Amino acid sequence: MRGLVTVLLALMVAVVLIPAAGLRTAGAAAPATLNVYINGDTNILDLWSKSLLPAFSKRYPQYRANMVGLMHGNGGQGVLDKLIAAKRAGRTTDVDLWETEPSMVEQGIPEGLWVKLSDKLVPNLGKVPAEKIAATGGYGAPYRGSSVVIGYNSQFVKNPPKTFDDLVAWIKANPGKFTYCDPNTGGSGQAFVSAAIYRFASPEKFAGNAYDPKEETAWEPAWKLLRDLQPAMYNNGFHPNGNVAVLQLLGQQNIYMASVWSDMGLDFSKRGLVPKTVKFEQISPPLFGGDSTVTLPSFSAHLEGALTLLNWLLTPEAQQMVISDVSGYPGVDWKYMPDSVRKQFADVAKPYSPLPNAKYLADIKRLWHDRVAAGQ
Amino acid sequence: MTGTGLDPHAATPVPRRREGLRQGALGLALVLPPLLVLAFLVALPAVTAVIETLTPAGGGGPTLANYARVLGARTLRADIVFSVGITLVSVAVVFALSYPLALYLRFSRGRAARVLGVLFVVPLFVPVVIASFAMITFLVNHGFVSTLLYQAGVRAFPRLVYNGTGIVLTQVWVNIPFAVLILGAGLQAIDDALIDGARDVGAGPLRTFASIILPLNAVPTMIALTLLFIGVFGSFTIPYLVGGNAPAMLGVTMTNYLTQYLQRAQAVTIAVLAFLIASVVGVVYVASVSRRERGAR
Repeated sequence: MRGLVTVLLALMVAVVLIPAAGLRTAGAAAPATLNVYINGDTNILDLWSKSLLPAFSKRYPQYRANMVGLMHGNGGQGVLDKLIAAKRAGRTTDVDLWETEPSMVEQGIPEGLWVKLSDKLVPNLGKVPAEKIAATGGYGAPYRGSSVVIGYNSQFVKNPPKTFDDLVAWIKANPGKFTYCDPNTGGSGQAFVSAAIYRFASPEKFAGNAYDPKEETAWEPAWKLLRDLQPAMYNNGFHPNGNVAVLQLLGQQNIYMASVWSDMGLDFSKRGLVPKTVKFEQISPPLFGGDSTVTLPSFSAHLEGALTLLNWLLTPEAQQMVISDVSGYPGVDWKYMPDSVRKQFADVAKPYSPLPNAKYLADIKRLWHDRVAAGQ
Repeated sequence: MTGTGLDPHAATPVPRRREGLRQGALGLALVLPPLLVLAFLVALPAVTAVIETLTPAGGGGPTLANYARVLGARTLRADIVFSVGITLVSVAVVFALSYPLALYLRFSRGRAARVLGVLFVVPLFVPVVIASFAMITFLVNHGFVSTLLYQAGVRAFPRLVYNGTGIVLTQVWVNIPFAVLILGAGLQAIDDALIDGARDVGAGPLRTFASIILPLNAVPTMIALTLLFIGVFGSFTIPYLVGGNAPAMLGVTMTNYLTQYLQRAQAVTIAVLAFLIASVVGVVYVASVSRRERGAR
């Protein structure tokens, strides 16, 4: 009798264990699939799907990656809601890594959604300037950046302006040869308008989370300055729609100078969409810019894989792709990049001003339209 | 009513009533989907929008504060005036070009008329976005028109895009086929005998046009004008792409207030104002159509 029980027990154990063991071996053989959620324009989605992720899977065959593209950040709120719901229900999530805007990361912090990153978890994070990580509260890993710079056609502009005041003087001296895009339609226009605001008011006051519309009286001198510049703008005060339209005007030599995004400008230059004589430089005080960060949900099903991916993202191999594919600034310190890259970016790779927060930015756009474009 | 309803006296009216009921139900079933769409996707949002504009942000009774704020802003007043102005000019130019074309296509029998009859509808098949970009490359400095004028010795080149002129030119290009089709359909319906009769009693072409064609085609004309007005007034793509920064047409202004300035209340208020302006024209349309219906009966 006792023998029978033993045999039965042994059988039961075998029945339970064998498939489990079988599954485990199968798991080790089949690569785990990481779900990577990416906000961005086509160029960023291509960077991930065509360059970064295939190279990562090649380097780490135990992982595959599935990209979920959120074009222009559409659907970002849905992803955040999904993460919050899973966290509150005590489940794991299939979002293993998310590139998104700071406002989404901000909203997830009180819910405890994210991994607090450090160079203990991700060794290569040690190569990223500490202040860049501090700016994200430690919840985002800056892996690429860009800023707005001044693009100019060196065929016509021999002595490009070095400061914002020089730039204003140049615009007045060369009517019709400069413009910035309508701030409603692109960051490169917002950067020029913000530079005018920062000329008379401290950037820090408008970059943080605080918001008080009364502070906006400090913008009055900027509106006057911009209004006075209108007659000297391209086509007697025309501001095209979007970052690309300005680059096209520069390419067609309708204008000789404009504020443009560093990554877009360098990319246009590389693809021959603007003449080779178009150069880019940062002025002083600098125009605004920012880092794009990736964030890891702390309760993802493949946290280890996500950490591996993040660490790889900050290797020279991956950072080089950021530079060659989208002409972005590297997330790691410039000193870790090869000389050739540093030379290529020498004129633009300088510190940049902070972006105004979302509420001030909305008011900047509205007031620009009222005070500058409509001229009142 | 405890029986089975087989009362012999009731036998005759019951099937007729059933028949009527069934037909009514069928009619209702057919009308219901569009009616529901209208109720839930048009009427309900419109009503909630109006309520929203009348509700103050801090709570409390209905107020016109949102309207006072929108109409008090000089830039927004300028946008409203600009939108109505651009719309009226566009409609007038479209009409002035379409009517002769419609007349020509109706009364000419030659091969040229047949070719033209096919050609003029082409813009109808070109998406508005593409048409807008085509107009920009055509009209912009260093574009086709400016190069041509430069060759002809014209040095002072007027701005044809990124302002009201550009919007009007593009609207005209896009809307001519639509206007010609409606006006042409009206002209087709005029009996040749009436025109021949007018000629027989000695009326010249102008007199025939003024006394026979114009009045007989009045209803299609009103329909064309009102639909053109509402189409141009409510447009977004053309003013966004071809227009300037300020003043802007209301479609662009609304979008900016909603998505760029994060001022929803203002955006909705502007939408309600735009709706009021369009509804004035809508009344004219409904009056024209119902007059035609009465005439048909």
